[in-house]
Amino acid sequence: MKRSYLLIAAVAFALSLLVPLVVRTDYVLQILFRIYLFAALGLAWNLVGGYTGQLSLGHAAYFGAGAYGLAILSREGLPLWLSLICAVLVALLFAWLIGGVSFRLRGPYFALATIAFAEVLRVLAKNLVKLTGGDVGIQVPPMFTSAVIGKFYLSSVGLTILAFGITVGISHSRFGYYLMAIRDDEDTALSVGVNAARVKLYALFISAALTAIAGALYGSLFLFVVPDQVLSIDISNEIAIVAMLGGAGTVLGPIVGAVVLESASELLKSIFQEAHLLIYGVLLVVVVLFMPEGVVGTIQSVFRRKELAPPPGFVKPQAQAPVIK
Amino acid sequence: MAAFLEIDHVSKRFGGLRAINNVSFTIQRDEIAFIVGPNGAGKTTLFNLISGVYHPDEGSIRFDGQELSNFRPDQAAKLGIGRTFQIVKPLRNLTVLENVMLGAFLHTSSPSKAAEEAREVLRYLQMEKAMSFPASGLPLPMLKRLEIARALATKPKLILLDEVVAGLSTTEALALAALLKRLPEWGIAAVGGVEHVMQVVMSVAHRVIVLDHGTLIAEGTPQEVVHKPEVIEAYLGTKYKEMGL
Repeated sequence: MKRSYLLIAAVAFALSLLVPLVVRTDYVLQILFRIYLFAALGLAWNLVGGYTGQLSLGHAAYFGAGAYGLAILSREGLPLWLSLICAVLVALLFAWLIGGVSFRLRGPYFALATIAFAEVLRVLAKNLVKLTGGDVGIQVPPMFTSAVIGKFYLSSVGLTILAFGITVGISHSRFGYYLMAIRDDEDTALSVGVNAARVKLYALFISAALTAIAGALYGSLFLFVVPDQVLSIDISNEIAIVAMLGGAGTVLGPIVGAVVLESASELLKSIFQEAHLLIYGVLLVVVVLFMPEGVVGTIQSVFRRKELAPPPGFVKPQAQAPVIK
Repeated sequence: MAAFLEIDHVSKRFGGLRAINNVSFTIQRDEIAFIVGPNGAGKTTLFNLISGVYHPDEGSIRFDGQELSNFRPDQAAKLGIGRTFQIVKPLRNLTVLENVMLGAFLHTSSPSKAAEEAREVLRYLQMEKAMSFPASGLPLPMLKRLEIARALATKPKLILLDEVVAGLSTTEALALAALLKRLPEWGIAAVGGVEHVMQVVMSVAHRVIVLDHGTLIAEGTPQEVVHKPEVIEAYLGTKYKEMGL
């Protein structure tokens, strides 16, 4: 990634941190919180779904683990920060279980397996009433007691900066190249000595930990969570859509995706009321059809095409077709 | 001294098909051997067995004193077995340079060092002009070279070249063959697999191993092998004899 992108991102983050000094409306801050929360979630998902190309549609498992972990453990008397750490550890355990099994599967089977795991967790949370409160839900302790919404907003910006920093670091490292190699061709990655199973699992660990922290923040802001909210397919989808809309496998994509998707959905909600879901759906279809690489991906490939136009006489081959004898 | 690569009575079945049937041979260090045979003879299966993609049903494979039979592909690569794929498998969203860097990452974790080594390999394969192109836009001859470049960048002790000249014109194939001839200079043994570009085999191979229906039917120097009646019968065809190569 070019230095100029990093500079723009740094300035944007710095300005974002100053927002609570100017904006005092809870409503606006809450929307901004949601944007940054999903930016962080999108960045976390992007490590697995974008860079590694493993379409996870079950990130609600880690999101829910964060929210429920924080709620249950602090109910049992653990201090808040320790509950948060343990909630992250629970998410890592889930990642290990889910990844260990699902990463053996490729393509759509992997996506289905991740959905299945998240759904199992949701059903468990609904039925293990003693542990989770069942359908009624569970109280989540507040992380902050004064100037609440401003602090939550700043936490979400902080989490996004953390996820962004991790993504930039990874995308410039050997580990990042390994992820992209696995995405493009797992057999090739293996043939140059990449232990694909382990690399995928590490990526999922990082992703799950960040997602769990976001889940804990989310639960703690609303003080209450129910299974159908934090463990739902809707959450899994929204996380994936944010990253794909902005550009899976790009550093800035998930942030752009979160800004576009969350502000659009808020705007549409206020203008069209119940019809907003319909318009939202149509928008998604349009993006998938015409910008499969997402907003940032599309912009990047336009630039790349200009920069790297092959010299004349360079014929584009039908490389995918096997050599016929 | 034990052989560098030793294929010892190896068999591999897929359901009822005996893809490799009790095959034994050895490869020495700094040797270029070619496995030839008609389509479906078991060449690719053999490469997949050596590189850990498949495991033999019977027999064993030893490489550099190590038993390979239950290795994964990435472990085989770490031991020094590089490979190319018959149906090219480039990393399509990465540039040519980045593709080769992935090979170099096997022994360095620094991207800048990997890029430096990748450039060197690309220069050797005369691909430096294509370095910054995305791999997805390359023509087939370049993709074939890219397969070799990526494998070479891992600094293998043995490289498995599965049909690297298939689909190339004779000129391109011979140009590539000239480069392959120099592999022993780098201390790399090579096992190639070729279906029908005999000219390349004759000019590059120190030794030829002929497979037919999963069975080893002949072995020897290129000159010896092409005159064996069973090889002409199973593979080269009687016309070849008339041509008197």
